[in-house]
Amino acid sequence: MEPGLSASRCFHCGSPLTAAAAFAVRLDGTDHPVCCAGCEAAARLILSQGLGRFYEFRELSGEPVAGGTHNWAAFDREAALRRYTHECAGGERELSLQIEGLHCAACAWLIETSLAREAGVRQIQVNASTARAELRFDPRASALSRLLARIHALGFVPRPLSFAGGAAEGTAERRTALKRLGVAGLGMMQVTTYAVSLYAGLMQGIAPDLEQFLRFVSLLVATPVVLYSAQPFFISAWRSLRARRPGMDVPVALSIGAAYLWSVVSTLRGRGAVYFDSVVMFTFFLLLGRYLEMSLRHRAGWQHDALARLLPDSTLRLGGAAAERVTPDELRAGDRVRVLPGERVPADGRIECGSTDADESLLTGESAPRVRRTGDELTAGTLNLTGVIEMKVTRTGQDSTLAAVSRLLERARGSRPAVADLADRVAAYFVTCVLLLAAGVGLYWLHADPTRAFGTVLAVLVVTCPCALSLATPAALAAATTRLARAGVLVTRGRALERLSRADRILFDKTGTLTRGEPRLEGVLMLEPRLTAQQCLSLAAALESHSGHPLARAFKHLTPLAGVSGIECFAGRGLEGVIEGTRYRIGRREFVLEGCARGAAGTADDPGHTSVVLGDTAGILAEFHLTDVLRSDARDTIQRLAALGLSAAIASGDRSGPVAAAARQLGNVAASANLTADGKLALVRALRSEGHRLVMVGDGVNDAPVLAAADVSVAIAAGTELAKVNADLILLGEGLAPLVCAVETSRRLLRIIRENLAWAVLYNLTAVPLAASGLIEPWMAALGMSGSSLLVVLNAMRLLDRGAGRSAAQPSPRPEVAHA
Amino acid sequence: MKVIYLLIPLGLGLLALSVWAYFWAVRSGQFDDLDSPGVQILLDDDRAPPPAPPDSRDA
Repeated sequence: MEPGLSASRCFHCGSPLTAAAAFAVRLDGTDHPVCCAGCEAAARLILSQGLGRFYEFRELSGEPVAGGTHNWAAFDREAALRRYTHECAGGERELSLQIEGLHCAACAWLIETSLAREAGVRQIQVNASTARAELRFDPRASALSRLLARIHALGFVPRPLSFAGGAAEGTAERRTALKRLGVAGLGMMQVTTYAVSLYAGLMQGIAPDLEQFLRFVSLLVATPVVLYSAQPFFISAWRSLRARRPGMDVPVALSIGAAYLWSVVSTLRGRGAVYFDSVVMFTFFLLLGRYLEMSLRHRAGWQHDALARLLPDSTLRLGGAAAERVTPDELRAGDRVRVLPGERVPADGRIECGSTDADESLLTGESAPRVRRTGDELTAGTLNLTGVIEMKVTRTGQDSTLAAVSRLLERARGSRPAVADLADRVAAYFVTCVLLLAAGVGLYWLHADPTRAFGTVLAVLVVTCPCALSLATPAALAAATTRLARAGVLVTRGRALERLSRADRILFDKTGTLTRGEPRLEGVLMLEPRLTAQQCLSLAAALESHSGHPLARAFKHLTPLAGVSGIECFAGRGLEGVIEGTRYRIGRREFVLEGCARGAAGTADDPGHTSVVLGDTAGILAEFHLTDVLRSDARDTIQRLAALGLSAAIASGDRSGPVAAAARQLGNVAASANLTADGKLALVRALRSEGHRLVMVGDGVNDAPVLAAADVSVAIAAGTELAKVNADLILLGEGLAPLVCAVETSRRLLRIIRENLAWAVLYNLTAVPLAASGLIEPWMAALGMSGSSLLVVLNAMRLLDRGAGRSAAQPSPRPEVAHA
Repeated sequence: MKVIYLLIPLGLGLLALSVWAYFWAVRSGQFDDLDSPGVQILLDDDRAPPPAPPDSRDA
């Protein structure tokens, strides 16, 4: 057990305990406090199944336990079963689940062990690194909804993936690549052993029948390596030739194919040179490079389904007679649905009746909710905070706004930077040159010394193999990505690191990026001597505990008064409730003044603050000043970035007061306020046209075009789901400090790539003339090529350890809440 | 050196065996998740779960 954890933090989820918490669970004779009823239920369930060891081995993420309302019954309907599961032998069904909140091996074990005990579960396998589960169950023994509810009860959110997901494809690709690599590796070990004997025989003399035997054995082992392991090179070379754009694989396929055929003929004829060792070694090292590159690509596509997670599990469709729960996939345009408070909107539509505060932060990145009334449009994925609404569905599935955004993001991901295209064109010329050179060398040697012609051509082809050249960048990138992942930065596009190393400007969004997106109580202004500040705060906390408004979170840590009745929410304005016979209102100033007999004096809104006012029927009692707190390491990070030559600026859609206040606190950085998405885009374009290389740090899809317009985009994972999909770099933690590490690593990465490329070019420049003049045997060429690749990879590895002990930013002390 | 005619075919047999074992390992997902199984051995214990209280069975 982590010492000190049990005292101040929730035993189950690790979030800080509030004073009022009265929940606890019992393990090994000790009571452990938990933060809420949800955690208590999850912990009880885990302990009651004898799975308490989960708490010894799990790694706490600090994320709150999965909450919210879920209704899984919709997944039991025939249509949903057909969509999400597929039938296997004996009436059993199989499905894949994405599991939110799964972050360590202990979580995976917990789900596997607990589910395996359920009736009807045939097989459950949870993969901790991809957060995916494969479940096989018998629908006659247990309903799917019961199993989903069980996972949810353990504190995770299961998301069934519709069948035809890309996950299986990735696994299959990886497994095939591993098999090819393994065959080549095992084959290489054998063939090089035989080759050493053959070379020794060349020098010391060898019995002819023994030599012939060794050659046949080499042929036997090399054949599957060429026909199975080297297959991708042949296929890709053929494709690039058909497209009339010879790629790097053409000389590779040519040298493997030609050397193999030549060796086969030599073996069968019983004379001439054999090159099985060169062929197999060559294949293995090339496959190793490809495999590393592929792992990198798969890791980048890891968070692909972030969009699908925005939709609710189920929604209430209003039919002619009865309402029924359906999955969002089943909705059609024209359907009417009812969305309850706390649920997400399942499709694009128009409100037909009701009004509510809608939290569109997942789509827009702005945390403040907007009021939506009858006739207003809602987009899928919006969170309904306060009221019950009925809406008519206008667009679903592929036509919806979410799908359109997703397509845009997809296109952005697919588009390659100009540099990549240039590299491809250069490669085509390079390969053509190599082929011409090899042909020229071949012609020359046919005249000079026909017996050595083939060996020399082969040596040229192998030596010019762009292996070191093509490994130089991916190997360094893989090392840098791993290093950054340890520091809490996920790199989704390798090329971004190259651009990051040259950046000289960094632009921050404010809400949710520099700040935590959670308001905090800064001060209380008392306007009525009858009550103390403490009493006012308790009253406010009691009222706000019934609100889903983000501003209400500022009062969450206070102890509320008990006995609130007659709560009524006024969307976008505030709420009203009765405590001990007195009617109180809390919210906007105008709203509170409407509810009281006489208007009371109040100060004008402080430009740096957002104000919430508390009043009773007699007048205004108190005014609370709220600010969105800056992340504790924001100032430090900005200073360290400045030391690295990146000057920071703020671009925010917020009002100028809070933005200026934030800029002051961060050490007078440049700031622009009141910017719309277009305004931010114009700012980014203006800076870039001035020749600056720009990093944009943001959190929402409102920023997505802005993020895409910058040279490098960075998103904060604690912000929104959608931005994750479209950023080059993702900060996984709560802090900004990893940005500094990212910049430093990217610069070291660039230096190492330059060293690698310089080495590869130098190697080719010296080796090609030597090979062309016939001084290098094919086996030497293969060995030199392998040694050169190894050197490049080892150089890249240096990225992993140097400076690994660098510490994160020191948290600056936080000011206490002021009580006036 | 006659023994080499026996040893090398033996080695080839072993090679075939290891390729087969490796393919089986890849196919059965042994290489899919390299992180969690290492911890799972610490977690699994053979104690039978206590009888579940009736209230935790719904959900």
